Amino acid sequence: MSLRKISIQKGTLVQMSSNELLFLGKSGQPYRGSLYISFISVGESFDSVDFKHYITSLRSRTFYAEDIAYEIFSTIAKSIETKELGVVVELSARGGIMQRLSFGAEFSVTRKNNIFQVG
Amino acid sequence: MSGSIQATLSGASHFNLLAIIRLLLDERGMMQREDELQKLGSGSTEYKYEYSPELLETFENAHQENDYWVTLNADEFSSLCPITNQPDFGTLIINYIPDVKMVESKSLKLYLFSFLNNGEFHEDVVNKIGKDLVALMEPKYLEVVGLFYPRGNISIHPRYFYANGDVKYENIKEHRFMQANMNPQRVG
Repeated sequence: MSLRKISIQKGTLVQMSSNELLFLGKSGQPYRGSLYISFISVGESFDSVDFKHYITSLRSRTFYAEDIAYEIFSTIAKSIETKELGVVVELSARGGIMQRLSFGAEFSVTRKNNIFQVG
Repeated sequence: MSGSIQATLSGASHFNLLAIIRLLLDERGMMQREDELQKLGSGSTEYKYEYSPELLETFENAHQENDYWVTLNADEFSSLCPITNQPDFGTLIINYIPDVKMVESKSLKLYLFSFLNNGEFHEDVVNKIGKDLVALMEPKYLEVVGLFYPRGNISIHPRYFYANGDVKYENIKEHRFMQANMNPQRVG
């Protein structure tokens, strides 16, 4: 899936997060997690509605949990040009084990204490 | 005969008949539970993404002489908006006082996953799950709380209450109903 480009100011640090990531593991078991994205604009970003639809489309797709950060990274990288693109995914525990996956540039994620926290 | 019973028989200098009877009964109860349950420990698990109440399983309450609360928290609940088909997310909290039957948690997990591609309003989901669990277990008391993530800046927190008709549990239901929104909850 490709994301529509939008033109934005070059040099803008763009960071996004979602607590609503859901995809299917190889066993078919749904995985839930939080997604964090960071990049520096070289003059473009992607349409957020397209991105929402893309994230929603993952609900019916099957991945190894370890590949989910790369999947999202590569979809963004194929759609727009960026600098220092990084994707971090934190999954809720399965069998008592939590996983954190990252692909691309490392960055510090800002976690909300609850989903109502603004800023 | 199980290893634990053999150890008790051979190791005890004074026979503790009650302890042995208890072990035998416990073992019988566990075997009965193993016979009843299909999902837990089955080795391979089939996940359904369409509403499937038939996935729910029960086991027998071993402490029917006590009234006690069981709380089940499901932080990963997700279904679809029936109008827009957009995904909804929320935490479900199920509190109940068991009678004879108790819901087995893996079957509950699979049942809740089965809402994944189901279009339901938040209010309907909570009532539907409450009714399914009442039909399954016939508990003394049961409540379901849905703490759904905001949509359009509004989060919806429906609550379902059930009591079995006994005065004690009807009083609990009335009390819980009247107090339900005294401390509005936040999703963490």
